[in-house]
Amino acid sequence: MLHSTASAQEHNSSNTAASSDYAQESAIVPPSTFSANLPLRQSRLPFAGVQPKIHDVTEKYTRACNALEVGQLVKDEYFTLFESIGAIEIMDTKMDSGFLEPGETLEDDYDTLAPLLPEELIGIMDQLLCYEMAWHTGYPLSQTLFTSVYIDKLLWPETKVLEQAQFYRGDIPDDERPGPLLEVLRAYCLAVIKGCDFVIAKITGRDYFEEEDFCTHTYNRILFISTPMDVFLREMDAAIETVEDPDLDINDALRKAIASRLELRKYFLRALDIELPLDQISYSWPPILEGISTLKTTHQLGQVVPGAFSSKMQRRLASTVPPRPIVELEFKDALEGLDQLATDCSEATRFIALGQDPLEYQSFLWFFASRSPAPLAYARSYLSTLLFHPDVIQTSLSPPLADAKTLVFPASTVLDPMNWTLSPPRNAALPKPPRVQFALLTDEFVERAGTPYMDLWVALGQNKCRLRRMLTHVITGWDILQADTSLIDTDILRAAEELGVAEQVMDFSLSTWVYHKKLWMIEKVVLLGFEQDIYLPDELGGMYLFVSLIATRRKELLNRVEAHYLAQGQRLLKARKLGEVQQIDDAEPYLDSLIAEAEGVASLGLALARFYIILLYLGLLSIPKRPFSTEALRYELRMKPFLSLQPPEAPPFGDFKTHTQPYGEYTAPNASFLSDAKDTDSELWVEVDGHIKAAKVAFAEMKKMGTKAARAEGVKNAWGKDVQSALASCIALGVAVAGVKEAVSKKDVAAGESLGIRVELPEAGTGKRYAEGWVVAKILKE
Amino acid sequence: MDNEQATFWLSQFIGKNLRIHASDGRVFGGQMKCTDKDRNIILALAHEYRAPSAETIRKAVEESGNPSAPVSWNSRYVGLIVVPGEHITKIEFEESTLPGQKSSVTL
Repeated sequence: MLHSTASAQEHNSSNTAASSDYAQESAIVPPSTFSANLPLRQSRLPFAGVQPKIHDVTEKYTRACNALEVGQLVKDEYFTLFESIGAIEIMDTKMDSGFLEPGETLEDDYDTLAPLLPEELIGIMDQLLCYEMAWHTGYPLSQTLFTSVYIDKLLWPETKVLEQAQFYRGDIPDDERPGPLLEVLRAYCLAVIKGCDFVIAKITGRDYFEEEDFCTHTYNRILFISTPMDVFLREMDAAIETVEDPDLDINDALRKAIASRLELRKYFLRALDIELPLDQISYSWPPILEGISTLKTTHQLGQVVPGAFSSKMQRRLASTVPPRPIVELEFKDALEGLDQLATDCSEATRFIALGQDPLEYQSFLWFFASRSPAPLAYARSYLSTLLFHPDVIQTSLSPPLADAKTLVFPASTVLDPMNWTLSPPRNAALPKPPRVQFALLTDEFVERAGTPYMDLWVALGQNKCRLRRMLTHVITGWDILQADTSLIDTDILRAAEELGVAEQVMDFSLSTWVYHKKLWMIEKVVLLGFEQDIYLPDELGGMYLFVSLIATRRKELLNRVEAHYLAQGQRLLKARKLGEVQQIDDAEPYLDSLIAEAEGVASLGLALARFYIILLYLGLLSIPKRPFSTEALRYELRMKPFLSLQPPEAPPFGDFKTHTQPYGEYTAPNASFLSDAKDTDSELWVEVDGHIKAAKVAFAEMKKMGTKAARAEGVKNAWGKDVQSALASCIALGVAVAGVKEAVSKKDVAAGESLGIRVELPEAGTGKRYAEGWVVAKILKE
Repeated sequence: MDNEQATFWLSQFIGKNLRIHASDGRVFGGQMKCTDKDRNIILALAHEYRAPSAETIRKAVEESGNPSAPVSWNSRYVGLIVVPGEHITKIEFEESTLPGQKSSVTL
């Protein structure tokens, strides 16, 4: 028997006598020289060199099992049936990745040293790119890049130095050595692998990421983690040289195609480098975007090499999951993916050039998350790495304080830098001077607000679905912050009274800022809900009513701030403190922009709410049958994230019902409904039109004030489009309302005449909505 | 063996290392967690071991010139597995006691 050779040496040295099959002995306790070949071997190594005794218990075990009752389990008492469901069933083709069909071999018979044609080289390179991008979109390496026989050879068995990572191991005769094209492929594969290592490092380096977006599992393979970058760049340069060498006998078109792929890969690797200095990152992505078109035009030169990739590779990976098919991504789609990745990352590099203003950062994060198609996990990690990079944010004030100052303390003694230069009295028992108190209280606020503020930023760095879910948690944190901050506010006011400047400090300044931000987040959560089609058609009216309610509350809060600005400005003017007056003037545009936005959201929300309520009464929206739930319970469910907030944001169900069902049941409205609906001058319609008009005016004003006022200078285009789409939604709603109004006034609904119109709700993400968060129904003639 | 004896005897192996040979020649080593009348066995923290192919062994012998050259088995981690009784050809108990230590399992 041939394979008994495997254990001969082992047998001689260790004298394990219990088993008759030595080969299997060596499987478990092989000579130490081979220990590197077996993954996670440590767990199976015997204690302190003591060889385990092996007892064959087959016969007795079988007898014992036979004596068990049907259904009786002999098991570890901590081992649950639930856990056992996760077990992989051996010898089951669907579950057991190691199962071989009769005659099938484990090793692929693909020869990685066989010479390649240039066309085949191109084919393999392009295929690798396809798998790499498939991995970026969320598939595991085992179903993508790790199916490459070449990559497997480079990574396994693991080598200590990169020179040994070849398509073979050990020494081979010179005439079998890989030719120049194989050397080129090796360099390319090495760069792909190192790129993966960088990607994983970047994504796992973030505080927050989820496996649902991206799979970082490497199946116990080490992706050259400790080999430095320059080694790979040298390999790539050598490969480019090889290809461009005129002595290499190869068609020029193919030569160019290969060289351009190597160039692109080199740029890509450099852009992925986690240690690339900040001043270079903005130059790292454009070359990739430029290189993509060459790849597109030369792809047809390549020739597919089917044997170079095999799902059998999964059998060699440490894996606790069933085998899965290889993920096929079209080359065209892969290039699109790469293009998107490079574009998004390139956009993210603009972050470091933003003005040092937390509000600018917030706008940038918001619009980055709103990009369509949604940025991939890597691009998002790329941006958040920049966001939390110690050299990027260097505001003199801490971000939450800078943010709060912009809104509630534009020119105030409370934040006078002087306050921090004073020292508290040596005797701790003496009262502290008010200015020192200002400094201490502000510091307390900064410390308290830090975590909730960071939580908001972290949430803004997620994909939009998770952003919506995370925001509901962030809101809870800000709710507690609001309560804590109002205590600080009371102390600030007391100190201000002591100093005789009480009228200069707005009541509850800091907590007003917190509350404003909280309300803004609630609006966003609900608007994101529309964007993600969370609500059913018959819920739209109620939810828009809620948005409108929150936005109105926010507007009232802002109006209070505005009143304070005015009074403070006049006081300062009287006192001839022109510098401070200027500071207040400078702060006004931002406040005005916020007020316009809140007004726009409140009015458009209310108009939509009224519109959908009318549609419900007219029977134009389907109301699903829900035998197992009640309106009150459904309302509670929708309001759940906001129920615990203080002050309460969700109105009691009774109020909600009165406002959403002013004419009684949708299916059986009061008689007054039809008369109101038929009369185009009735309050019902006048109100809707009025709100649409108000929203239009507000959004137009916001647009006129521009990005500088809105603190979105870094995202001018996206911001402009956003406001424009809100305006377009107003106009679309106006058209829809007119359509319904006309139909109702012309037909005699009371007599049972059909309205002759139907409602079409544009789906999310299909480009049929002007703004994803504003669902405006289309009215179509039947 | 009656039911009580069988239950007692089998439960000795709970948490102990077993090597289970499957009908296709692979060997699975891991901690026994559960077994039943059909001789199905659940192993936790299991590794899969597979004999090298004849081709690999031939190469190893050729290259070293030593007819008893060592060739390692392929192994990988597979985690929690259940080996169906019908596919089990051999069960081995791996006893790792220190010299002088008494075995806790009655075979």
